[in-house]
Amino acid sequence: MPEKHIVLRNCGVINPEDLTSYTARGGFQALKKALSIGPEQIIKEIKESGLRGRGGAGFPCGLKWEFTRNTKEQSKYLICNADEGEVGTFKDHFILENDPFSLIEGIAIASYAIGVKKSYIYLRGEYHNLSGRLQNAINQAKENKFLTHVNIEIREGAGAYVCGEESALMDSIEGKRGEARFKPPFPTDKGLWQKPTVINNVETLMNIPQIILNGAAWFNQIGTERSKGTKVFSVSGDVACPGVYELILGSSLKELLINISQSDNIKVVQIGGATGRLVPGTAIDTPLSFESVLGAGSITVFNETRNIMDIVYHTMEFLAEESCGKCTPCREGTEVMKLIIDKFRCGNGTQHDMQLLTELSSAMSLASLCGLGQAAPNVITDSMQYFRDVYESLIPANLRGVKA
Amino acid sequence: MADITVTINGNQITGHAGITILELAKENSIDIPTLCYCPDLPPMGACRLCVVEVAGSKALVGSCHTPISQGMVIQTHSPKVMATRKIIIELLLASHSGFCTVCDKSNICELRKLAMDMDIGLSRFQSKKRYFPIEDISPYITRDLSKCVLCRRCLQICNEVAKKRVFGIGYRGFNSKVIVDLDQPIDKEVCRDCGLCITSCPTGALSNPAQIGEEKKGTPLVIRG
Ligand SMILES: Cc1cc2nc3c(=O)[nH]c(=O)nc-3n(C[C@H](O)[C@H](O)[C@H](O)COP(=O)(O)O)c2cc1C
Ligand code: SF4
Ligand code: FES
Repeated sequence: MPEKHIVLRNCGVINPEDLTSYTARGGFQALKKALSIGPEQIIKEIKESGLRGRGGAGFPCGLKWEFTRNTKEQSKYLICNADEGEVGTFKDHFILENDPFSLIEGIAIASYAIGVKKSYIYLRGEYHNLSGRLQNAINQAKENKFLTHVNIEIREGAGAYVCGEESALMDSIEGKRGEARFKPPFPTDKGLWQKPTVINNVETLMNIPQIILNGAAWFNQIGTERSKGTKVFSVSGDVACPGVYELILGSSLKELLINISQSDNIKVVQIGGATGRLVPGTAIDTPLSFESVLGAGSITVFNETRNIMDIVYHTMEFLAEESCGKCTPCREGTEVMKLIIDKFRCGNGTQHDMQLLTELSSAMSLASLCGLGQAAPNVITDSMQYFRDVYESLIPANLRGVKA
Repeated sequence: MADITVTINGNQITGHAGITILELAKENSIDIPTLCYCPDLPPMGACRLCVVEVAGSKALVGSCHTPISQGMVIQTHSPKVMATRKIIIELLLASHSGFCTVCDKSNICELRKLAMDMDIGLSRFQSKKRYFPIEDISPYITRDLSKCVLCRRCLQICNEVAKKRVFGIGYRGFNSKVIVDLDQPIDKEVCRDCGLCITSCPTGALSNPAQIGEEKKGTPLVIRG
């Protein structure tokens, strides 16, 4: 069975408003163990477990912690990224709603290991309804003396997709306009208020207590060579059973979409949201792992009735709307791409336009400041690769094969 | 501080630790085009024109904000870099509503000059044009934001040198705009007449009021295409 519950083990089982139901299932045992083995050993465990970030980029979690721990600065920060802005993701919402305590425990362990006295949870603005429950979980953990070493504060975003990007997120917490910063310096060096900062996705931190309890070797044997553990997927679109599923990394798309969520007639699947990749229905055996495709784990299914150009257009429209506007390639490029795709949508494309799209895609992914602009052309390059015939059919007959 | 040796375009070059790729290139008369960079002020990394190729990095690297490190291998004018810079300028031209032939600053316009250096005539891209009403109520400054390329140099110089913090960025994506207060036309209440931003503006977006014609200095630039 590819399904395995590590992150979701308490979801639907415990009462998310009541800490005693969490401790009854072994809650905060991991923190106790962590405090006894000490920071170095925790970081060693996490490094050996092979846990990689679940927010999209897949950076090794233990390394990030180690960099920050080893800086000479006294004040450091930990931020839990609960912005979940990626199109089609709702896994963090599900987690926060059903098991806020595991997250708090994960943050408590991480803060202790890195040497952080102040942590933030950056909560997506649209998730305002969850902030009460989260605060309640923090309060209960505090009352029970689990958070004596760290202060956790919830900060709510204001609804910008780009504020999920780590540097824009830090600007947002600092009270500025959320815009990407150039790197280096990386957040582990100069992050929030120019102090060393670790930023981790909700799901990444949810894995921590289980790794500490069961050991790195246990976690390490799950998954593939370079993708250890499980991943929580948000499945939506043309499927019979949409929802949140946790699968062992390396499971195939077929497993998730056909066996579990029961979809058929798949034309294309968008994996990783607007900045993610397209996988055509014919490549249903694609494994879901960092080596292959993954992103933040959002899976949007489109069946044969959907129009490819509409999918591409709406994705581009979203990205153009959400671009922060700081750097030229993304600010101007997404707009131009949107207009060119609209031409194709109306059946007015040209060969020249396809050439321009290719050149522009390359320039944007090479020169944009942050991941948004760098990954914005994905949907164009993938659709041009798998559905070139669709593009060509949208060039008026008298212009086909004509080079401008 | 210790010196660092890097390879730029095949030549070994040594510079002080802590300086950026752009600064080292300048010291060695290697010309990297820039737009948002203001000498001696903190870099912003916004325009992306100064990108260079650094071995080992998949994406291009902004030279104005990336410090040199030992053993870096840098290409400042590889085909990949040149193609990318050209597209950035073409993108800026595509949404620039400027009619260069009737612009007061066309002779000293940096955008035009960059385009000329890169042999760009008309942009191959079509985009929306930015149109904003001209703001000319202040006796000290006239803003024509239709010509703004969002390099943010005015912001940087006002914040860092004049320390007046008159400007901010409003809206997002393509609609981003350098705004004053909550997007009010600039007037003499918020800005006195230091004029630093006017000299820093690469295009005709900022100008001295009622000085039409007086700025036409220097050799005329050729408009190709
Ligand atoms: C445009 C953009 C949006 C992002 N949105 C999110 C998000 O909503 N949630 C998230 O956890 N990471 C997001 N990321 C990734 C973060 O920048 C960062 O890599 C991540 O939070 C690191 O945590 P991890 O190492 O635990 O994955 C986004 C990145 C980009 C470029
Ligand atoms: S890539 Fe887009 S979102 Fe990122 S800095 Fe540039 S304009 Fe902003
Ligand atoms: S000059 Fe370096 S990004 Fe603008």
